[in-house]
Amino acid sequence: MVSLNRRLLVAASLVLAAFLGLTGLTLDRAFRDSAVEAVQDRLQVQVYMLLGAVNMDAFNRLTLPQALPEARFSTPDSGLYADVMDGQGTLVWHSASLLGRALPFFPAIRSPGDTQFAALESADATPLFMLAFTVSWEITPSQYRLYTFRVAETQTDFSKQIWSFRRSLWGWLAAASAVLLAVQGLILRWSLKPLRRVAAEVTDIEAGQRTELGSDYPEELQPLTANLNALIRQGRSHLERYRNALGDLAHSLKTPLAVLRGALDRHPPPEELRQTLAEQVERMNRTVDYQLQRAAAAGRIALSAPLPVAPIAHKILDSLAKVYAERMLDLSCEVGPATMFYGDEGDLLEILGNLADNACKWGRRRVAVRAYLTQHGGRAELVVEVEDDGPGIPAEQAPLLLNRGQRADPTVAGHGIGLAVVRDLVEEVYYGRLDISQGRLGGALMRARLRFQAGG
Amino acid sequence: MRILIIEDETPLREQVVAQLREQGYAVDAAADGRTGLYLGQEYPLDAAIVDLGLPDMPGIEVIRRWRTAGRPFPILILTARGRWQDKVEGLEAGADDYLVKPFHTEELLARLRALIRRTGGWTQSVLACGPIALDTGSQQVTLAGQLVELTAYEYKLLEYLMLRAGMVVSKTELTEHLYQEDEDRDSNVLEVLVGRLRRKLDPDRTLNPIETLRGRGYRIRLERATT
Repeated sequence: MVSLNRRLLVAASLVLAAFLGLTGLTLDRAFRDSAVEAVQDRLQVQVYMLLGAVNMDAFNRLTLPQALPEARFSTPDSGLYADVMDGQGTLVWHSASLLGRALPFFPAIRSPGDTQFAALESADATPLFMLAFTVSWEITPSQYRLYTFRVAETQTDFSKQIWSFRRSLWGWLAAASAVLLAVQGLILRWSLKPLRRVAAEVTDIEAGQRTELGSDYPEELQPLTANLNALIRQGRSHLERYRNALGDLAHSLKTPLAVLRGALDRHPPPEELRQTLAEQVERMNRTVDYQLQRAAAAGRIALSAPLPVAPIAHKILDSLAKVYAERMLDLSCEVGPATMFYGDEGDLLEILGNLADNACKWGRRRVAVRAYLTQHGGRAELVVEVEDDGPGIPAEQAPLLLNRGQRADPTVAGHGIGLAVVRDLVEEVYYGRLDISQGRLGGALMRARLRFQAGG
Repeated sequence: MRILIIEDETPLREQVVAQLREQGYAVDAAADGRTGLYLGQEYPLDAAIVDLGLPDMPGIEVIRRWRTAGRPFPILILTARGRWQDKVEGLEAGADDYLVKPFHTEELLARLRALIRRTGGWTQSVLACGPIALDTGSQQVTLAGQLVELTAYEYKLLEYLMLRAGMVVSKTELTEHLYQEDEDRDSNVLEVLVGRLRRKLDPDRTLNPIETLRGRGYRIRLERATT
């Protein structure tokens, strides 16, 4: 991936280059146009000057004095030239500066008062600006004659002017670009500083020198840092749960191990040893199951989208329908499409699976699963109810059942641990409650209330 | 009954194989997913036991491929983690039941029998056709309430036929499903067994419980008793 810094720098530089380039071109064009206009005006002035100097000799021929007010007309190759043609196109006068050369043919004689201006090349390829002006000269009160005055100037001065303008224009633009780029670089450094700080703080967290990201971040970054913090806290709480579960596990395995060691030391009869062994193996198995399932609880997951409950409930009921196919149970599910769970899918599967599995074991024909959302102290609360039409659970037995690993009926496998796991999940991970009561179908009704932290 | 077990833990696999053989099942075993997948696709199985945590190919994937290939036999999954997520995933992939490790052998056998029964369309653990009743749990057969003594092979043969009561079962199918690879597959043995079964179940030759369809096989023609 291209770094943010480079992306911004490249993008801004391109925009800057385009902007300054176009500005330069526009200014260049404007300057050139006005310079050409200035040349035209100057040549026009020269024409008027020549007109003012014209004399008519005795034969009514047009003459111009040897010494003109503009000295360059008299200096050979001065770069400023002039000539005069009569109405038939015959050259009647040319300036001394032309010295044997001729101005390029331009233009056709037109009506009096016309001005024509063009950039042309002379016969020896010198670029020229040329202005032609046609006048009607009164010779006698009734006789007029047409004359065309032409003034030409080499483009040398003009080009010099243009080039000097260009040099300073592009020089300044380049300087401006350099300054703007530098400023932009500084702005980028300043703007991206919080991101560098996040990276540094994450590194610190990895190194164990920090527990969380700081709080005083720009508001655009705050969702990111807040979510990162939530993830970090979640990871830590998972770790904590695993650690506790491992501790509990080790602890609770010590007792059956001690019993087994004691039994070995006592040299009891084989039958008794066998029974002790079987009892303790079962106890250890249940302990491991219980602690592992507890540790696996994920809890409210940071950044997770709410999960619709209905598909999960259907998954569980479809699975149970398969497992209990022979019992032909009537499994019903009443969960609205808008009923949402704000947590880990595995946790909800675990809660629903254990409750519904229990109901299937105890129910005679019918098992019903319901879920709906309510409010509890301003927070969303998901209520999950599972009931069956079995024998039900007497009120005085309910608290016993919810204790870890307690079995109401030891002949039905798996009962007890499942409920205890559900209780732990509901109470410790989802801050809720699990209670047992009498349902409408006649059997037990298990109701789990799952509460979610603000914002979820 | 021919059962396939896919389990990578050797002691557990060997233990289950031994126990299943003891119960009269023909057993194929595989230690990894790919071998298991192949056996399930090639062999005429009556049920498969699949461990979910296999080294090369997950059990779920094996089950999914079998089902995609249209293999119909019932599948029992074994899982070490009792998480509902795993169970649901396995059942959704096409398994029919699950068992969480560690399990009691009786539990495994009971689940397996129930699955095989279910495939034959029986819901009770006692299969009853006319006066003959076969209890798959205690593996006892009664004729009009009187216990009939059967050898292990005779029982296996009768169980297979009764699970498919009303359907024709060919001799090839019988040998494939009842015998281990290495056993003698002489079809004469089968005929002798059927003859003995007929004598024990129909001593006065009035019932004719097993009919022979020439060139096609055998069929229990007694009505299934529904309770």
